[in-house]
Amino acid sequence: MRNTICLNIVTVWLLLGTVLLAQTEQGAKGSVEISELTSAPIYRSRILFRVGSAMDPVGREGLASLTAAMIAKGGSKKLSYEEIVTKLYPMSASFESQVDKEMTVFTAASHRETLEGYWQLITEMLTQPGFREDDFKRLKEDAINYLKVSLSNGNDEELGKEHLYNLIYGNHPYGHHNRGKLQSLEKITIGDVNEFYRRHYTASNLVVAASVPRNSPGSFTPSNASLASALPKAPATTNFRVKAPELVQGVEMEILQRETRSTGISIGFPISVKRGDPDFPALLVASYYFGQHRSSNSHLYQQLREARGLNYGDYSYIEYFPRGMFLFQPEPNLARQQQIFQIWIRPVQPEHGHFALRAALFEWEKLVKNGLSEEDFEATRMFLTKFAVILTQTTDASLGYQLDSRYYGIPGFVDYISTSMKQLTLPQVNAAIKRHLASKSPRIVVVTKDAEGLRKAILANTPSPITYNSTKPDEILGEDKLIERYPISIDPSRLRIRPAVQAFE
Amino acid sequence: MVIAMFKRVTAFVLGFLGLFASGNSWGQDAKFFPYPFSVDTLPNRLQVVTVPIENQKLVALYIVVRTGSRNEVEPGKSGFAHFFEHMMFRGSENFTPEQRDSIMKRAGAEGNAYTSDDRTVYHQLFATEDLDQIMKLEADRFQRLKYTVPVYKTETLAVLGEYNKNSANPLSKLHELTRATAFSRHTYQHTTMGFVEDIQGMPKEHEYSLQFYQKFYRPENCTVLLVGAIDRTRALELTRKNFADWKSGKPHPEIPAEPPPTGPKKAHVDWPSPTLPYLLIAFRGPAYSDSKKDKAALDFLAPIAFGEDSELYQRLVLKEQKVDMLAVDFEDHIDPELFSIYIRVKDPSDLTYVEEQVAATINKFSNELIPTQKLNDTRSRMRYGTALGLDSSNAIGGFLAPYIALAGTPDTVNKVFSVYLGITPEDIRNMARKYLVPQGKVVVTLKTKTVDVKETK
Repeated sequence: MRNTICLNIVTVWLLLGTVLLAQTEQGAKGSVEISELTSAPIYRSRILFRVGSAMDPVGREGLASLTAAMIAKGGSKKLSYEEIVTKLYPMSASFESQVDKEMTVFTAASHRETLEGYWQLITEMLTQPGFREDDFKRLKEDAINYLKVSLSNGNDEELGKEHLYNLIYGNHPYGHHNRGKLQSLEKITIGDVNEFYRRHYTASNLVVAASVPRNSPGSFTPSNASLASALPKAPATTNFRVKAPELVQGVEMEILQRETRSTGISIGFPISVKRGDPDFPALLVASYYFGQHRSSNSHLYQQLREARGLNYGDYSYIEYFPRGMFLFQPEPNLARQQQIFQIWIRPVQPEHGHFALRAALFEWEKLVKNGLSEEDFEATRMFLTKFAVILTQTTDASLGYQLDSRYYGIPGFVDYISTSMKQLTLPQVNAAIKRHLASKSPRIVVVTKDAEGLRKAILANTPSPITYNSTKPDEILGEDKLIERYPISIDPSRLRIRPAVQAFE
Repeated sequence: MVIAMFKRVTAFVLGFLGLFASGNSWGQDAKFFPYPFSVDTLPNRLQVVTVPIENQKLVALYIVVRTGSRNEVEPGKSGFAHFFEHMMFRGSENFTPEQRDSIMKRAGAEGNAYTSDDRTVYHQLFATEDLDQIMKLEADRFQRLKYTVPVYKTETLAVLGEYNKNSANPLSKLHELTRATAFSRHTYQHTTMGFVEDIQGMPKEHEYSLQFYQKFYRPENCTVLLVGAIDRTRALELTRKNFADWKSGKPHPEIPAEPPPTGPKKAHVDWPSPTLPYLLIAFRGPAYSDSKKDKAALDFLAPIAFGEDSELYQRLVLKEQKVDMLAVDFEDHIDPELFSIYIRVKDPSDLTYVEEQVAATINKFSNELIPTQKLNDTRSRMRYGTALGLDSSNAIGGFLAPYIALAGTPDTVNKVFSVYLGITPEDIRNMARKYLVPQGKVVVTLKTKTVDVKETK
């Protein structure tokens, strides 16, 4: 009964999210720790290593992801994965990994009452991974099936979005999916995993952001220092630098052919702006105005979905945003030195594929030419100032954003957005759009069934008139006349058809 | 947005673990839902639920309509509840869609909606200073929705786009066929998305959409739920001010009762592109209840028999590695729906073996008692799972919305909790025996269509 009352009271505190102490300090052996003490009864942390898929050795693409999976979803030296699952079960605790180009983050969460056992478990997983053959076989097969089946043959939207990165980055360190390449995954051995772990899972590559329940007498407090001291010893790899990709000038396009009911489109090109750069706030406003993720409040959505009924949604991004079909908000800890501007046109009826592609390019050109109006600018910057609070509302998100702010060398995300929005002007936004969002070398990926038909139509610049099931305003019909003949200038050798199954080879 | 069944499956226990908390250390008089809340009903029978949380800047506003695809009783109208959810964003008498968008944008609000079998839920998250304005917006569309025929027709295409984007995933088709095979009369025979033919026919149903609104968007069928930086007085004041003139409606059409199942039944999907084979084994399950033990007992069985820590999962997924997905979907429903076991098998030749192993597992749990330790571990998991899940005002709103749709009041949460507290190993065995039986069974397989060599010559 005592515990009951105790839990009820502290659970209420959970929502208050009261941070009693916030500190940043250098932990043991060069690791960095961002800790908050909270009255909530829940321990949450994001344990980040500055290593990612961009550091996969050539021919071993997928190694960073597989190594993280072997830690989070494999056994430790002491316990098999089955035993770990059994121990986690009554705690309802989780330990998940996410790998991006330059960072790998493990997300940990446990109730205070189970924290000691949980901490011991995840410390063993992180510092004494078992790297067993049976786990390796299972997780490698999972990665292969993810690329070959789930992504290439079960999710046209993510397929197109991810292949766009393949097309833009090519042989660049970013030029493969975070889960790897099919042939490379086949070659990876457990020895490779061991070596990768020994080199990169070091204290000097570690940054921990944690929200820790406030100490009560006799209660357990996790020690990041002891975690760090048990990790392999090796120099930091934080000096890892990637250059901008070198693109051959001109439009390049791949049509991924597969048996599907609809046609999905992704368009993008590299930008030289990342969070923290002077033009980032301006581009953020432009991108949210043009195509805020999953929002009816954006220009593209209003033009393509609401006015024309082409599809379910149309968005744009200046930062990597995977799994967008399942998420309303971006996930943190996908920070990168290099980003792209991306337009995502969700699947349209195949007969409207050519028109939708033209419409997206037409709207993009208008954005670059006209920029934002004073009214759109004011509304969008006001939106972002408040929306930053919503993006960081949960403890887990707040920890993630703190790590990203540290990576980019900026203040806390809410302060960063709030300050930069106050200082921003419309001319700055429109100048930044012209500076960064104009490109003569966009890359385009289309996922569709009749690849040959679409290819021919694009190369011949065949008009693609559209008819509607209802009357439309003259303004829309007038624009349609321009869109249906909007020229796409592309060399035939640079408009390729590829079977979808080969996207990640 | 339709709540996608396959998304829930990948998260396995989300619908289950998030639902309740109990534990060995919890007393019988403990309340499952730890936050104080109030329930008020206006004279027009609109219910107002307020969950004040101190020191919050944000308010989560949920409006729950107790209508979903379950209410689509007329032939040719499957998917309409979900489609209608889209129309609720297309303007009202005092706010055009553009004005609505502009207000939401200036508020920095996050808002959306979803539809499932039993409910349609509209949710917004915003700063407390924007509450007045957003309540006004919501009240207008719930009482004075207004859209033109062209706008109506255009929106039908967005829903077709939604169907199309989902259709790339084999689980969509698997779910669709399982429903159609398992039910002969009840509206659960179609998914919330609806049959594609019905979606394609929606452009002709403008008149019907107006009737749909008149029928279901009525105060007695809705709950306004406010969580976070709000107190009861303000919540009531704002709700009265904006919703008091809303007129009550008439009783809804009866949902056709489903006769007892006559299984086992089988069905198969030929999938046109490469995939790993899927096996879905479903049983007619019990409806949600906050007084009977049937559903609650099977809620325990789901993770114990098929979860990551189950003997079956550990053998098929981790040791033998013949399967890479094993998950149960057993969401709470107003009427009896399905206890569905979703499996993805790596090699088609293992389908029969895996089906046999599931049958053996069910047989075991129908005859043997679960060890007390396992029952306690599962209670503990539920308790901590809930504490970990309710981490924001928005999360609390999202947690309560389904209960409000199921039972009309959040009080049901504490009632169902006390049912969970009383579940014994015998209850679990008895309910496995009662529900996981051949008569209630539907097996659906999905494999890549094999090319007929003769035809290709």
